[in-house]
Amino acid sequence: MSRQDVAVALDDVSKRFMLSQERRTGLKERVVRGKSRPGKAVWALKDASFEVPQGTTFGLVGHNGSGKSTALKVISGIYRPTSGDVTVNGRLSALLELGAGFHPDLSGRENIRLNGSILGMSRREVEDAMDGIIDFSGLEEFIDSPVKIYSSGMYVRLGFAIAVSVRPEILAIDEIIAVGDEEFQRKCFDHLHDLRRTGSTILLVSHSLGIMEDLCDTAVWLDHGEVRGLGDARGVVRDYVASVNQREAAAAPLEDRETAEHVADRHGSGEVRVDRVTFHDNDGSPVSIVLPGQAVTVRLRYTARTQIDAAVFGLGFVHESGVTVAGPNSAQLGPWVVPAGAGVVEFRIPELTLQPGMFMVRTAVVDRGHTYDHADNQATLKVRGSGEAEPGLVRMAGQWQPPRPDPRAAAVTSYPEARGVQS
Amino acid sequence: MTVGLGFGEGDEGVAVSVRSAAPAWSYSGLIWNFALRDIKSRFKGTLLGWAWSIIVPVATVIIYSVVFSAIFRAQPPPLADGRPGNYAVWLLTGLVVWTGFSNTLNTAVGTLLGTGSLLQKIYFPSYAPVVGSVISSMMQTGIEAVILLVILVAIGNVGIAWLSLVIWIPVFVIFVTSVTYILATYNVYFRDLAYLITVALQLFFFLTPIIYPITLVPVSSHGIPVRALIEANPLAQFVESFRSILYGVSVPSVTSWAILLAWTAAAMGLAVLTYFRRGLDIGEQI
Repeated sequence: MSRQDVAVALDDVSKRFMLSQERRTGLKERVVRGKSRPGKAVWALKDASFEVPQGTTFGLVGHNGSGKSTALKVISGIYRPTSGDVTVNGRLSALLELGAGFHPDLSGRENIRLNGSILGMSRREVEDAMDGIIDFSGLEEFIDSPVKIYSSGMYVRLGFAIAVSVRPEILAIDEIIAVGDEEFQRKCFDHLHDLRRTGSTILLVSHSLGIMEDLCDTAVWLDHGEVRGLGDARGVVRDYVASVNQREAAAAPLEDRETAEHVADRHGSGEVRVDRVTFHDNDGSPVSIVLPGQAVTVRLRYTARTQIDAAVFGLGFVHESGVTVAGPNSAQLGPWVVPAGAGVVEFRIPELTLQPGMFMVRTAVVDRGHTYDHADNQATLKVRGSGEAEPGLVRMAGQWQPPRPDPRAAAVTSYPEARGVQS
Repeated sequence: MTVGLGFGEGDEGVAVSVRSAAPAWSYSGLIWNFALRDIKSRFKGTLLGWAWSIIVPVATVIIYSVVFSAIFRAQPPPLADGRPGNYAVWLLTGLVVWTGFSNTLNTAVGTLLGTGSLLQKIYFPSYAPVVGSVISSMMQTGIEAVILLVILVAIGNVGIAWLSLVIWIPVFVIFVTSVTYILATYNVYFRDLAYLITVALQLFFFLTPIIYPITLVPVSSHGIPVRALIEANPLAQFVESFRSILYGVSVPSVTSWAILLAWTAAAMGLAVLTYFRRGLDIGEQI
């Protein structure tokens, strides 16, 4: 790739922060204890190199403290790299927290001027955009009143109207699309979509992997300041999810012990008890985060004190909003005989239809009105976002048919005079 | 458009920066908007509004005039044409310079801490909010200066020497801006500074010949060259030269100009050094 096509390039960039034991910002500490000893060095970025092609959307993923935000701040010029080269081709602006930098005593109009120039617009650009901003915010009536009388909704609207009026060549966004209500998020996405279409380069940091997969062309995965993965966004996100799964699985035993003690609302006669619920992928290895469409096996480990002649096992998937999305049970197979002792029952899902979200898993062992065991909150199934996000809690099976001519409509168009009357 | 690489030296040695190498004037819009923010919000919510910017200095002059002229019987120097001096006018001449310095310092020293959250989210040079704040404080001084000029014209104390203000004003503004930027930056690192400045300003008010003429100070007392010490204070130089121009209607001596320029150059050099040593990484420190 030639340098010309690159919007942002990091070349072996490192950023070190010195963590002193305590910050000596007071003069007294400085005088009494002397100059603070240099503390531990923390490398927020370590020889990170990546390029962002012009006009693409680039995501930065990684766990908390992985260096995503530091990378963004180094690119924005807020931090200076300790070593390495950063190249930025084009005017860069940041999508700020809405209303950051507003002065409560100034009017809406005055705040537009202030905020616009903070975002790097020239005086003329701000004045040219003024009417559009006021119009977009829908605050004509209040625009000359101080913003301190604004409701929080009006505040956000004005902030957003200013933010979208900035048309940078490169836009840096740090985790702000996650805030705000549904309507605001939709507007935000529309805006990003618009910018992408007009050829702006977008740099995005978000914890929402669904958003990252949806919006980004390429992505970098940072881990403790080092580049662990780089390339196609979907691939990078999948690798990252796999690594998170692995890590969580390693930490799982401890978590299980904790949850086992915390299972609330268990009731039933107790001859048989479902002790543990785990999720497994195709290979049988445990997973804690799954993607829609993935094959998942739900494994129930139970202990039966005596043999039970008739039992039906059931599962409940309860969405975090409280809706029970599905309740598969073994009733249609007829009652099972459960021998005494410990055992395993599995429920295999060839293709998970749940959409991204957290699902609490409930278990039940019953027999025609009698409850042996019923437990809420046995486990939590975390479904992460994937590229093909759809609204709703579940993915409905079905097939779309591509457009084809409508025979009835064809009959209408064959009468030109009829069409004339309609228009 | 390509943004060049700017090099700056930090504590960690040579650091490379992607920051725009754009010249300072390209931030004039931002600086002006910071200044407007401070100006417009200053008297918001007060009944008398901008009238306060006239009432406060007038009241100060009346109080000091009563105390020093009526009670202590201080003798002001005569006017340019030899007429007996007027203590209130003479005092106001000194006060304009002093309040220009002290008000700016007091209000602008906390600017960087106040803008902190923004500095962490978006890059703009750390001098932008400071200079904006200086401009808004200087606006107040400008109003006081205009009142002073009107009074001086009214009593017929005008002369061609006033033209030297064309040089004096920029020198003073650069001096005040430099000192303010240095202190505002170090205030981020040592937050006690803001309090220390309040105390130091009180001390300096009396160490500067504002309410008393420098001629009242003994040249030497107990072997200490008191007057020389007071004259070593840069503020004394600014007050004396401003008085010489406006009240005495005479161009300050070459020595006087040289001292003013030397102090200003030193302050400016220190400010630039502060900017490169401390100002570039301010986003990390707030």
